[in-house]
Amino acid sequence: MAKLPTHQPDAALDLQFERVVDVPKELVWRAWTMPEHVKKWFTPAPWKTVECEIDLRPGGLFRTVMESPEGERFPNLGCYLEIVPNERLVWTNAMKPGFRPVGDPAACPGVSFSFTGVISLASEGAGTRYTALVMHADPASRQKHEDMGFRDGWGAALDQLVALAKTF
Amino acid sequence: MPNYQEQLDHLFQSLADPTRRAVLERLSRGPAAMSELARPFSMALPSFSQHLDVLERAGLVKSRKTGRVRTYEMQAEPLRAAETWLEKQRKVWEGRLDQLDTYLMELKEKNSDG
Repeated sequence: MAKLPTHQPDAALDLQFERVVDVPKELVWRAWTMPEHVKKWFTPAPWKTVECEIDLRPGGLFRTVMESPEGERFPNLGCYLEIVPNERLVWTNAMKPGFRPVGDPAACPGVSFSFTGVISLASEGAGTRYTALVMHADPASRQKHEDMGFRDGWGAALDQLVALAKTF
Repeated sequence: MPNYQEQLDHLFQSLADPTRRAVLERLSRGPAAMSELARPFSMALPSFSQHLDVLERAGLVKSRKTGRVRTYEMQAEPLRAAETWLEKQRKVWEGRLDQLDTYLMELKEKNSDG
């Protein structure tokens, strides 16, 4: 039996996105953990994920590069924290690979915050209950992420993931 | 050039959003690329870029592309239209209060006479 998660969702600090999708959790897991798949769904169109590197172990690298329709690139560096195959994937952008903390994001003006993402997968019939929990340090960061377009963005990406997983 | 009412509609709609106000606050300190306006780059980034489009359509920011990087700059002019509108409402209201003041003083004097 898998161990229970060590974190507890907190409605004041976290954003949660839950949906039942009609693909088995093993395929959702594959879409999240293999670079060639991540590149195909991770960023809502017409944006693209043009690079992806994954070192799937605690402390390992999770790097993506998003590209705007105009070709502007946005690199994204994170560190995996927990990997339970087909069940739970936890990473953060508050640390670089090897658990090295990044500097204070508040030092960057504009819309900035750090987060920890927890993807949980559970079988439900022939499909999967997909839960994305995104944890923030304070209510203001949670709000910034929500206002920035959290639900639209993560929803559109999941639609793309499901469409891709059906081709596996 | 949209008419004055339409211009105000776009303006106040653009300002009625915390993300867009945060962007304007940042741009009031100087031009910035999108990568400086929003971090981190979660899947919400494409939605964030739509906020910039709204600001640009309202004329509050102007962008230009250098190579692949688009830089945004604040435009003060549309804010003046909002300021003018608010100023006008304030003056009407203050004028009304002044008249009320004067009227109340008159009543008070009449009362003390009687």
